[in-house]
Amino acid sequence: MTFALHTGLFFRRKLLETLRQPVWLVTGLTAPLLYLALFAPLLRSLAGGPAFPPGHVLDVFVPGILVLIAFGAGMGAGWPVIWELDTGVIERLRVTPGSRFALLLGTAARDVVMFAVPGVVVIAIAALVGFHAHWGGLAVLLVLLALLTAACSATSCALGLTLKQIGSLAAVVTGVQLPLTLLSGILLPLSLGPSWLRVLGHLNPMYYAVQASRSLAAGSVVTGTVGIGFLVTGAAAALALWWGTRSYQRAMVLSLTVLMSSRNIYHRAATVGRSRLVEPYVSRSRRRCDMTSTSQPVIAFLASGAWAGPWP
Amino acid sequence: MTDTQADAVQVTGLRKNFHVKGVTIEALSGIDLTVAGSEIFGLLGPNGAGKTTTLRILTTLLSADAGEARVAGADVRRDPAIVRRRIGYVGQLGGADVSATGRENLLLAGRLYGLSAAGAHKRCEELLGVFGLGELAGRSVRTYSGGQRRRLEVALGIMHRPVVLFLDEPTTGLDPQNRANLWDQLRQLRETGTTVFLTTHYLDEADQLSDRVAIVDHGRVIALGTPEELKRRYSGDTISITPGLAAAGPPDLGALARELAGAGCVEAAVVENGAIRLTVSDATRAMAAVFDVLATRGVPTRAASVARPSLDDVFLRETGRSLRDAGAAAGTGTGTGTGQPAKEEVAA
Repeated sequence: MTFALHTGLFFRRKLLETLRQPVWLVTGLTAPLLYLALFAPLLRSLAGGPAFPPGHVLDVFVPGILVLIAFGAGMGAGWPVIWELDTGVIERLRVTPGSRFALLLGTAARDVVMFAVPGVVVIAIAALVGFHAHWGGLAVLLVLLALLTAACSATSCALGLTLKQIGSLAAVVTGVQLPLTLLSGILLPLSLGPSWLRVLGHLNPMYYAVQASRSLAAGSVVTGTVGIGFLVTGAAAALALWWGTRSYQRAMVLSLTVLMSSRNIYHRAATVGRSRLVEPYVSRSRRRCDMTSTSQPVIAFLASGAWAGPWP
Repeated sequence: MTDTQADAVQVTGLRKNFHVKGVTIEALSGIDLTVAGSEIFGLLGPNGAGKTTTLRILTTLLSADAGEARVAGADVRRDPAIVRRRIGYVGQLGGADVSATGRENLLLAGRLYGLSAAGAHKRCEELLGVFGLGELAGRSVRTYSGGQRRRLEVALGIMHRPVVLFLDEPTTGLDPQNRANLWDQLRQLRETGTTVFLTTHYLDEADQLSDRVAIVDHGRVIALGTPEELKRRYSGDTISITPGLAAAGPPDLGALARELAGAGCVEAAVVENGAIRLTVSDATRAMAAVFDVLATRGVPTRAASVARPSLDDVFLRETGRSLRDAGAAAGTGTGTGTGQPAKEEVAA
């Protein structure tokens, strides 16, 4: 009972935080829509070709975009967490009877909303331009991807609390997301690639989510692929939530000196308000927060040019 | 709730080491202290002395390597959940959520501590009034000034009427006006039966605000008592005399100091920067004797001052360093060669 209340309170807090920055909602939507508009047409000539799954090109591609949105929505959770760590919010909450698991779950729930809203919009728009929507399968698909979002969200929080610095978190997240996305068959089915690529794909937990998503989007709900997808994603979510909770239990600011460079500055400027001293740091990390939205994996992707490689 | 007359905080043999890059740093090397109910207790020491580490252990943020700590009637190691319900905490970093409004911050804290929605609202409005934040309540905390934010953070710490309120360097960065206001508010809290436990590196904060003080250095309590007791125990009053030019030329300060050392109530005399500094047991009586000597010798007095001992004198007597120097050395982060100053930064 208390746990549910705390989760609700933390969810509300996080949701309000997001709603106060409407730019998040915009960036969360623009990237998947750009994919639909500018990337999907490229696939048309491939559809019906060798190793390409049967059906409309969007039937193959839309589930991939949805996984990408889920991944992005979840992975964005770590940035504000570092900010909260630096301003003492987490330390203060840790001294209250508030459950640490609830703290994590509240954030994950907010991220699920951040996935679901653009996800549903993308499905609706795609359905208008040729995507064959199997509504039952899509409902189960949203549940699966909500689980994936929670797993990514908890992982991102845990990484943020462990690394404690925006720069380190950015390096790890961007370093991990490229191989994860490439080896999941999000943009193109891995069945197009050579066998070694397919073997590598099987080592990637996200691959199973993508496979299950394609199956669900095609309307086949009770299949082995879907079962394995739920199993792998569920296990990943459980592991990530455990890690995230543990990280909250131990969360501690790296060093006060990182924040305030030196207390001497503080002594000399005793009459200057605290906020003014910390503010430059604050606004810097805030700007990074804004930059790193759901569109970030996409931007990294496009910038890397890696996706363009195998084209004839 | 526990009897407020009982000890609010009991600490015995608290030890904590930090391991950083293969180096073990001893942050606490056996802290012992007891804080009675309804008092303001100050933990005074230079940066790196172990104040923040002690506070973090007492507030369940950090676990000790050895030793016992009971806070508000519960053991911090065995019953951290009970301790958390009974204490309030205002950290050095503040901890107000700047993206939320002041009211949202307070309501969330209230609900987390188990207040009903209506109860939290009532308490929230009450505290907004007490801390003069009523007009700001609907604004994002980001727009608050340093003093306003600190007031909100203290309000957050006492939303649930804790038995013990812990504050880590609460007045750092505040201007004198806000500092004085905060002191008044902490005194009012004490009147209502709350025990206030604060760390500080400001001498006057320990001296004037705290009912009892523990001076810590290098992870150890080096002195514990009321500020008056400590100052009396460790050092007497001092009289400083700056002689002027006599008709016969500049006075021989050394000879004068030796003669003054023999005057009544004077315990020691040293020459310092053209002045004579006398340590005396009773400044009022010593004054008469000192001026007698000066008059007899025909030495005019250019300046004379009496100083009561400060807690810095206590620190100086115990450690051979001034608290200000110790703090400044630690603050630069370069260390003084003792390997100690980095401690609190690591702990933080």
